[in-house]
Amino acid sequence: MPGALSNLRIVELGEMVSAPYATKLMADLGAEVIKVERPLSGDKARLRGPFPGHSFHPEKSGLFLYLNTNKYGVTLDISRPEGMRLLERLVEQADVFVHNVWPPDMDRVGLNYERLHKVNPRLVMTSISPFGLSGPHRNWRAEELTIWSAGGVCVLNGAGPDHPELPPLKTFGSQAGFQGGVHAAVATMGGLIAQMRDGEGEHVDVSVQESLVSQLELTFEYWPYMGLIATRLGRKPIQPVESIRCKDGWIYVCCIEEHQWRGFVEVMGSPDWAREEIFADRVKRGENWEALKIFLEEYCSQQTVLDLYQKAQARRVPFAPVSTMGDLLNSEHLKARGFFVEISHPVAGTHIYPGAPVKYSATPWEIRLPAPTLGQHNAQIFGERLGVSSAQLRELARAGVI
Amino acid sequence: MAKAPLAGVRVADFTWVWAGPYCTLQLAHLGADVIRIESTSRPCITRVLPPWPDGKPGGLNRSGYFNQYNQGKRSVTLNLRHEAAREVARRLIAQSDVVTNNFAHGVMEKMGFGYEALKRIKPDIIMISLSGYGDTGPYRDYVAYGPAQIPLSGFSALTGYKGWPPMHTGFSYADPNAGVHGAFAILAALYHRAKTGQGQYIDMSQWECAMALLPEGILEYTFNNCEAERIGNSDPHMAPHGIYRCLDRPERIAGHVIDQFIALVCADDNDWRQLAHIMGQAELADDPRFATLQARKQNEDELDAIIGRWTANQHAHELAANLQRAGIAAAVVADNKYLAEEDEHLRLRDYFVYLDHPEVGVRQHAGIPWRMSRSDSRIRSAAPTIGQHTDEVLIELLGYTKEEVDQLRSSGALD
Repeated sequence: MPGALSNLRIVELGEMVSAPYATKLMADLGAEVIKVERPLSGDKARLRGPFPGHSFHPEKSGLFLYLNTNKYGVTLDISRPEGMRLLERLVEQADVFVHNVWPPDMDRVGLNYERLHKVNPRLVMTSISPFGLSGPHRNWRAEELTIWSAGGVCVLNGAGPDHPELPPLKTFGSQAGFQGGVHAAVATMGGLIAQMRDGEGEHVDVSVQESLVSQLELTFEYWPYMGLIATRLGRKPIQPVESIRCKDGWIYVCCIEEHQWRGFVEVMGSPDWAREEIFADRVKRGENWEALKIFLEEYCSQQTVLDLYQKAQARRVPFAPVSTMGDLLNSEHLKARGFFVEISHPVAGTHIYPGAPVKYSATPWEIRLPAPTLGQHNAQIFGERLGVSSAQLRELARAGVI
Repeated sequence: MAKAPLAGVRVADFTWVWAGPYCTLQLAHLGADVIRIESTSRPCITRVLPPWPDGKPGGLNRSGYFNQYNQGKRSVTLNLRHEAAREVARRLIAQSDVVTNNFAHGVMEKMGFGYEALKRIKPDIIMISLSGYGDTGPYRDYVAYGPAQIPLSGFSALTGYKGWPPMHTGFSYADPNAGVHGAFAILAALYHRAKTGQGQYIDMSQWECAMALLPEGILEYTFNNCEAERIGNSDPHMAPHGIYRCLDRPERIAGHVIDQFIALVCADDNDWRQLAHIMGQAELADDPRFATLQARKQNEDELDAIIGRWTANQHAHELAANLQRAGIAAAVVADNKYLAEEDEHLRLRDYFVYLDHPEVGVRQHAGIPWRMSRSDSRIRSAAPTIGQHTDEVLIELLGYTKEEVDQLRSSGALD
């Protein structure tokens, strides 16, 4: 059975995380994705790692290898007229073009919807940028840390009321990039469904900042509804909802409802202190957290994570281990579900990667190709697909266009 | 303007709390008719959580939390313990393209709404279950709460100040992440159905969707058998790369001083030279402690202290603009008030939505993170009050008469 998106043709001019993740989501469902990188240096994700053996190699960067599965790789310098013409010819045959070229660079090389629409009126063009393609910050520079901050997420995390001197804390990894990517994939699919119905394409402008502001849980509305600012410094109104150290790691103790606390007290063997008036309900436990914490730390320090987790869950108490990467790779549950997948790459070798985020009953998620080496498919795509002769290809390579 | 991409697509939405409603919110943005199946006897928890308008709690229709994530949807109340209510649900499913739920494993089956049963009602139905642990595997019946999904999925082990214990992400990030991945999955399934006529079942685990965002941590382990260290706000390939304290807000909010910070990144030596110049300390650029990336990483605490002293007596908003004028990546570490009132960029992009709601009036809500040049993608209405569309849906869509609806109501089936 072919994948859900198996007849789609996508051209991606992507770097780092957002555009590559949007097209990875589609490529893993069967879409054909031609990834365009700049000649010689390629996608910056090739520099990011992690690298096997901690030794840098542009074909062995974990971030790149993960984000670019199932893609063909070509190189093009679109700041050169011959490069832009080849991009136009690729786009002419495509359903979708996804890019995250920084808006001032789009202006500089003349990359815009009008141009590509002329080449292919059915094209859905998705532009992912830090702040979107309009407004006073359109041309602002951005990195993961600054856009995660501008999106209102970063301010919510930090050491809390005990350490107000510590700054807000970034969440690990490239989360702004991932959220820009997955929201762009949603909007692009909308454009594609409309294209299927109407036979016409369109331009989709995705702002990474807005993708983050759209998911601030209840915190954004605290201002328009109540005139309150949500900060990392607030005390938790109810407890216990904290990570606590065990003998062999950390557990996340999570008693939001009263029956969950009662279940935890049973797991602990119903100690006398748990009957104290100061711990009588979740709000009192929040007010008296400093006292409660001493008892819970003492108890947990005698337990192993897995045992406490399973005992709590047996009573419908939603504890969770503070999983290390090793815990994830060794999880019986994830093994039974087959989450992790093995991918062999001609240069980087064979390794285990995160697999399907979602499972479909009728259509497969599958790895057909590892991430491309830089320019791996130039001859195949430019030669066989676009009919560029091998003499012309040599000339384009010599001139640095591909 | 063309029709909405999902015009004519109907979603029977059994989800609640956050992940599911965030999923169907995306579909509503694209024009789907999303009908939430609710019950006054078991209202969505977000209907009874703050923030409350003007600080006055109460009612099922006034929470800013619910009103944010349910914009553009309709609401029907059904007490599914009644067979007559389950019959209404079956008739709704027969007229739907997508059925969503995030109940515990097995609950839909018990009500007669498992995938096999749904296929008999509507052969090409697309069904998605958004659950914490997924539909299979030894922990499939485990209970998942939003905050606990962060440590479970590996985010906490990787996030934290250098040398400190694991931290949280500050919000239940795995929820909206699962929701938006679920929306993508439904759209891919709709696309497949449009080509082939075939529906399908989608099994989504919040845990797995969250791990899809952690390749740098997971691959450090699978490549090198190492657990990645927690590195705070720093970055192995860039310095300075941090969050620095600026002047506090001039006003107090509810009696509290509100601190403000700037995020600032120098991607390379040129950026650093430029920053040193703006700081009025151009000599730092050639100082052997800071002249190269390697030197700056080695002396990063000292570097951060120097920058922090410089930012401490400046306003974050002005400083970000000044740094951007010089081509340095910087941004205010925005809080909700900053986004709502002081970020002129969001305002000028018309990002926020102001629609009249019958009980809370016009409030500012977060909008849609994309713009489409041709299709009609917008927030079509304020969030529904509970059961606001029960009569409309039963009579106009499902063909019940007014008398039948009244009878259902008096029997308690529409509670």
